[in-house]
Amino acid sequence: MSKATGLNQPGLGRNNEPPLLILTSLAAGAKHGYALTKDIETFAGVSLGPGALYGAIARLEERGLIEPAPSEDRRQPYCITASGRTALAQAVRDMRALSDVGALRLGLRLSTRRTGRSVATFMVTR
Amino acid sequence: MTRADRFERMIRWFPPRWRERYGVGMVALLEETYADGEVPLRAYFSMMRTGLVERVREFGLIGSAASANERLRAGSLAILCGWTLFMIAGADFVKFSERWSGATPRAHLMLPDLGYAIVRDAGIAGVVVVLLGSLLAVPSFLRLVRGGNWTVVRGPVVRTVVAGTSVMVFTAGISIWAHLLNSGDRNGGLWAYEGVVLLWCLAVIVTLGIATGAALRVSRQLDLPARTLRLLGRLAITLSVAMSAILIGTALWWASESVYAPRFMREGIGSGIVITSSTFPLSLVIAGLLMLLGLGVAATGVARLAPSLRRREAPL
Repeated sequence: MSKATGLNQPGLGRNNEPPLLILTSLAAGAKHGYALTKDIETFAGVSLGPGALYGAIARLEERGLIEPAPSEDRRQPYCITASGRTALAQAVRDMRALSDVGALRLGLRLSTRRTGRSVATFMVTR
Repeated sequence: MTRADRFERMIRWFPPRWRERYGVGMVALLEETYADGEVPLRAYFSMMRTGLVERVREFGLIGSAASANERLRAGSLAILCGWTLFMIAGADFVKFSERWSGATPRAHLMLPDLGYAIVRDAGIAGVVVVLLGSLLAVPSFLRLVRGGNWTVVRGPVVRTVVAGTSVMVFTAGISIWAHLLNSGDRNGGLWAYEGVVLLWCLAVIVTLGIATGAALRVSRQLDLPARTLRLLGRLAITLSVAMSAILIGTALWWASESVYAPRFMREGIGSGIVITSSTFPLSLVIAGLLMLLGLGVAATGVARLAPSLRRREAPL
C-alpha cells in the first residue's frame, strides 16, 4: 500500500491538479477567484475554468486546507490555513524528491532560482 | 437576457446548498472572467460537469467526506433509481412477451420458459424487497411528520399521490375501453387506441420518475437509525441481485425466442418500425438498454454502500 503523502492524499492530487495549484497560489497571500485563475495561469500555464476552480476550492475548504478571508465586495477571497501549508510543504517535498530522482537518472543538474513570479521555479540546465 | 442573468443561470447546475455557499463569489468570478467577450462553450460544459459532480457528491455517491451512514443511504437510493429503470424495462418486456408461449414450438419451450420464470420471480422478489424497504422507513417518516416537518416533504409526497391516482384512473379507463374492443383493434387495428396506450405508457414512466424523485427527497430528510440503514443497505443489495437475475432471464428468453420463434419476435410491438428484426426487436432493445443502464446505476450504489456494511458505525 502506498503511504499517504502530500502528493497523493485524497483531494490534493498530482502537481498539475487544481487543489495543488490553488494552494501554491494562496501560499503567496489571500486571493479571490479571478486573481487565483490569473496567478495560476502565470506560474503554471494552466487555465482553470470557473467550475473546476470552485470545485477544488470547495474540496480544499471542506478539508480545512483553505478558509474564506474577510471580503469587502462580492468577490470572496480565500487564504491558506496552517494545515494547508503543511500539506503543500509535503507535496512540494514529494515533488522535489521525484524530480531529484528523475534528474539524477537523466544526468541533469537542477538549480533553484528566484524569479519575479510568486513561486520558485526549477531551472533545468545540462 | 442580461449577462448577470446568464451567469446566474450557469450556476444553476450546482446544488442549492452549494450555490448558497459559493454562488455569489462564483458569479463575481464569471463576471470578471467574461467581462468583455462571449462565454465560450467549454465554460458552459465545465460548469455543467462540475455542477453535476457536486450534485452527485452532495447526494453522497462520491467523495471521501460522506460518513458511512451517508454512503449507505446514497448507495441504497442509487440502487432504487436503478430499479425504477428496471420497472420501465420490465413493463416493456411484459407487453412485448404477451402470448409468447403460444407462438413457440412446444418442443422448444424449456429455455424461454426458464428465462421467463426467472424474470417473473426475480421481479416479484424485487417488488417485495422495495415494499419491505418502504416499511422500514415508515417509523422515521412518521417521526418526521410528528416533528412538524410535514411541509418539508409535502410537495413531493402530494405530487406522487396525485400522479399515482391519475395513473390508476387512467389504467382503469383504458382497461374498460380495451374490454369493449376486439382483439384486432387492441393489437394495432385502431390507431386511437394505440395512441392512448402510448400516452398511458408515458404517464406510467413520468409517475415512476415522480415517485422515485419523491423517495430520494423524502429519504434525505429522514433521520434513519444506523441499524435501519444497514438493513436497507442489505435489502438494496438483494434488489440488485434480483436486477441481475432479471437481466439474465431476459437475455435467456430473448436468445431462445430469437432462435425458436423468430416470427413472434418480428411481429411483436414496434414491428412497424424499420430497424426492428427477429433478433433485435426495437422494444426488447429499449428494454435491454434500460436494464443495462439500471444495472450500471445499481452497481455504483453497491460499490458505494458495500464497504460501509462491513464496518459498524455509531448511530447517527
